[in-house]
Amino acid sequence: MDILNALVVFLNFVFIPAAAYGAQLALGALGVTLIYGILRFSNFAHGDTMAFGTGVVILLTWGLQSLGISAGPLPTALIALPFGIALTALLVLGTDRAVYKFYRKQKAAPIILVMASVGVMFVMNGLTRILIGVDEYRFDDGARFIMDVRTFREMTGLPEGLALRSTQALTVVVALIVMVALFWFLNRTKSGKAMRAYSDNEDLALLSGIDPERVVRLTWIIAAGLATIAGTLYGLDKSFKAFNYFQILLPIFAAAIVGGLGNPLGAIAGGFLVAFSEVAVTYPWVRVVGYLFPGYEPSGLMQLLGTEYKFAVSFVILIVVLLFRPTGLFRGKSV
Amino acid sequence: MATNRQAASTHSRWRAPILFAVLAVLFVLEGTVRNSMFSGSWNTSLAILNMGLISAITALGVNMQWGYAGLFNVGVVGFLAMGALAPVLISLPPVEGAWEAGGTRLMLALAVGLGTLAMAKLAWTRTRSGILTVAVLIGGFIVYRWLFDPAVTAIEANNPARHGNIGGLGLPVLLSWVVGGVFAAAAAWAIGKVALGLRSDYLAIATLGIGEIIVAVMKNEDWLARGVKNITAIPRPVAQEVELQRNPEFVEFAASWGFPAAEASGIWVKLSYMSLFLVALLVIILLAELALKSPWGRMMRAIRDNETAAEAMGKDVTRRHLQVFILGSAVIGVAGAMMVTLDGLLAPTSYNPLRYTFLIWVMVIVGGSGNNWGAVLGAVTIWFLWIKAEVWGPALIAMLTGPMADGPVKAHLLDSAPHMRFIAMGAVLLLVLRFAPRGLLPEQ
Amino acid sequence: MSDAGFGNRGNRDASVVNLKGMGQIDGTRRSGPVGAGRAGDPFLIGENMTGGYGKGADILHDCTIAVEQGQIAVIVGPNGAGKSTAMKAIFGMLNLRQGSVRLNGQDITALNPQDRVKAGMGFVPQVNNIFPSMTVEENLEMGAYIRRDDIKATMEQVYELFPAVAAKRRQAAGELSGGQRQQVAVGRALMTQPQVLMLDEPTAGVSPIVMDELFDRIIAIARGGLPVLMVEQNARQAMMIADKAYVLVQGANAHTGTGHELMQNDEVRRTFLGG
Repeated sequence: MDILNALVVFLNFVFIPAAAYGAQLALGALGVTLIYGILRFSNFAHGDTMAFGTGVVILLTWGLQSLGISAGPLPTALIALPFGIALTALLVLGTDRAVYKFYRKQKAAPIILVMASVGVMFVMNGLTRILIGVDEYRFDDGARFIMDVRTFREMTGLPEGLALRSTQALTVVVALIVMVALFWFLNRTKSGKAMRAYSDNEDLALLSGIDPERVVRLTWIIAAGLATIAGTLYGLDKSFKAFNYFQILLPIFAAAIVGGLGNPLGAIAGGFLVAFSEVAVTYPWVRVVGYLFPGYEPSGLMQLLGTEYKFAVSFVILIVVLLFRPTGLFRGKSV
Repeated sequence: MATNRQAASTHSRWRAPILFAVLAVLFVLEGTVRNSMFSGSWNTSLAILNMGLISAITALGVNMQWGYAGLFNVGVVGFLAMGALAPVLISLPPVEGAWEAGGTRLMLALAVGLGTLAMAKLAWTRTRSGILTVAVLIGGFIVYRWLFDPAVTAIEANNPARHGNIGGLGLPVLLSWVVGGVFAAAAAWAIGKVALGLRSDYLAIATLGIGEIIVAVMKNEDWLARGVKNITAIPRPVAQEVELQRNPEFVEFAASWGFPAAEASGIWVKLSYMSLFLVALLVIILLAELALKSPWGRMMRAIRDNETAAEAMGKDVTRRHLQVFILGSAVIGVAGAMMVTLDGLLAPTSYNPLRYTFLIWVMVIVGGSGNNWGAVLGAVTIWFLWIKAEVWGPALIAMLTGPMADGPVKAHLLDSAPHMRFIAMGAVLLLVLRFAPRGLLPEQ
Repeated sequence: MSDAGFGNRGNRDASVVNLKGMGQIDGTRRSGPVGAGRAGDPFLIGENMTGGYGKGADILHDCTIAVEQGQIAVIVGPNGAGKSTAMKAIFGMLNLRQGSVRLNGQDITALNPQDRVKAGMGFVPQVNNIFPSMTVEENLEMGAYIRRDDIKATMEQVYELFPAVAAKRRQAAGELSGGQRQQVAVGRALMTQPQVLMLDEPTAGVSPIVMDELFDRIIAIARGGLPVLMVEQNARQAMMIADKAYVLVQGANAHTGTGHELMQNDEVRRTFLGG
């Protein structure tokens, strides 16, 4: 029984990728959950907002690279990120002004906002296609690895290697910083508390002198920021392809609902839960098992489901959680 | 609510005929006028119409769920795909050796899989023991994989270049349309049973998930329908173009109308499909209208408008919702089978939710929630726009960028012009939502 | 919630819509200009108010409600008389076709509710008057949202006034009992340091003991110099503490006088006080 090597394989193929992916999902789910909690609808355009924001960041990155500007060992995209967020926030605020505000004024049922978000999704999808096209791009530069397989082997003398890509570390670090900042904002600042108050009771927030339109604007800006950061980190870690950002909507929604819609803490927990389950269920465990039980030689790959079915995993988790805890793991807004 | 109903009845009763007539004119223009806007080809015009009719049936299915009961189904693509499997499994000729290779074992595996789920459910409801339920699931899963994996390997190894799938039953393709409906209904039953039974329903997210999963299954389970290797040569319910061109009588008939044989054969085939689709559409719309006007339909609408009151009157809301969800999905499944029949091809990679879920939603909303004729009108109109926007977008951009100097920006704009149709569809939906949220043909 | 075309469709699907905490007041409406008041006005007056919700029929007909500095004014009347509507009209939550609202020498008819809060009005709605998932302390902080100065002293005053909720300041307000929630609700409004406090049936749904206690607190607030305008179901108790009472019937003033006068009025006694 070789626990050390089994652990290294586990960390390398399950834990590290899942942590990075979980951080990306959590950031995406935070955006969805904030819009659900405060604007009261599920934003189908969130995936395309992520794609648009990332597209802008990529274009800016290329621009910076052609000017010879880089961030040293870090990806150039990090410098482009604030500008990408600003542009995405402008687009999203413009959308709110042109589309959603009308229904808010009418006090329309949220389902109309859901439908409108489908229209916005089409428009943003088209914009992203025009902006950057439908091809796949890689835009990570700077140092590729913090730890590569060979260095690890030489350091430890173990036969199994461990690689930590800089984008993975960056994803987790940036996500943690963003999450802490968001929680500090929501729980400690006056504006953040006003957002929570509006989510709790719109009319009373108004009767306390809170300007609802300011809360809405803040929410869109934060959601645009979260979407752009999540999208950029996802693109840095894997690659950018507009359609993938549309598909990631399902695990993001699943994460937000599993955690309890409207509950930011739940969105984070949900993101990591979905990511770890996806990776764990679709990973072929044969090597880990081989180290743990040297005598046992399994016939197959010990893979519960093919990687193509990773979406099924988020779905099954969703159903199981909803069957046993209808409001999500952390009590969400829904009853 | 009451004021809206009144507003609806004041709409001119000529509204629907006029809008349908305008649509017909568009198709005639497409068939006869050749300029930068229209192709002037009847073949193109009828091809758009045929796909439009299939979209109309899909939209009818969605409209039953949304219009009658207010259920928000965002997994339309999955139910279409479910239906699309039927022609492959029903009407393709059997694959030689596939059944012998592992058919029985495969069936057994699927039975064990379903049996496991049923047992787990039984174990949970009877004993409320989580450990027992999980044990049943794990045990069942192991047996299932033990049966399933070798069977699949054997089937996929059977003549993989041409087949590698389980094959069909060799039955008439029209029968598969009905079976497509049954397939989709079965999927809808499973998902509806779970998602509608929750304390507050989570149908949207559940259908979004099941849609992705069904498409993933179709892409990856090669034994089922060859996965991404596609299935071609699905039997046709109508004549082949080449046969017609070889038939001297047909060539003479075409010449008498002034059409070359090649063009005429295409038109003839498309007209044949159109007739079939029209019959199917009319039958479904008739049934849908009858259902809506029956006591069942009245109850559906009563539940939709005031669920609490309906529940207080002892109506089983969840059960009714499940019924209408299954029925609507069955209609979508029929459309899925029809689509594969029309294309003669099953290509799982083309099942894109934007095109097959959300575009259908645009059709339903634009047509008018709750109005069956509206769904048909919206579907054919939006499909026409969707196809033509691919032509009109570049024409528009070319016109707008005409005065611009040649350069990378102009080239980029011209290159990306076909993507304009996404923006156009979004804009149409947003405009309708804003200015006519009840659609082109509001509910009566 | 209006149905802009979709009726009740889709509204039960919790994965796409969130109806909890949704409001009815249009928060996008901008304020108009503030005009001059009239000489000899009471501190707060809604005069000759006529109007209703949205485009619906008028609920108020030439209705006038006023409260003087340092006094308690109550609005009583049968169910559906438009008592709460009159309060909401004074607070700018419905369209007035006629009439004006004037506060402290200014005409505020054109202000939206947010700006009326800034102008010095505090309002406690009848239901949904707390932020249930926020702590008691956060509820009070939200009450003081518009203030830029130190709010600690006011918060201590509120806790002194309502010691029961002071002990639960870190608890989510939604977990408190009905009476305590009402105290939090009143406390939240006081945190604004309003110049006038408006209460819409503060004792609805609480037990008689809690009701007496709440009345005591309200009297204490008014004796502290803050004018109070309130709608009350329990007409008898309300009139006993009222400096001025308005009896509304079908959206119009039926009787007006001091609480004592109206208690003596035979018609009022017969119709509203049960003999």
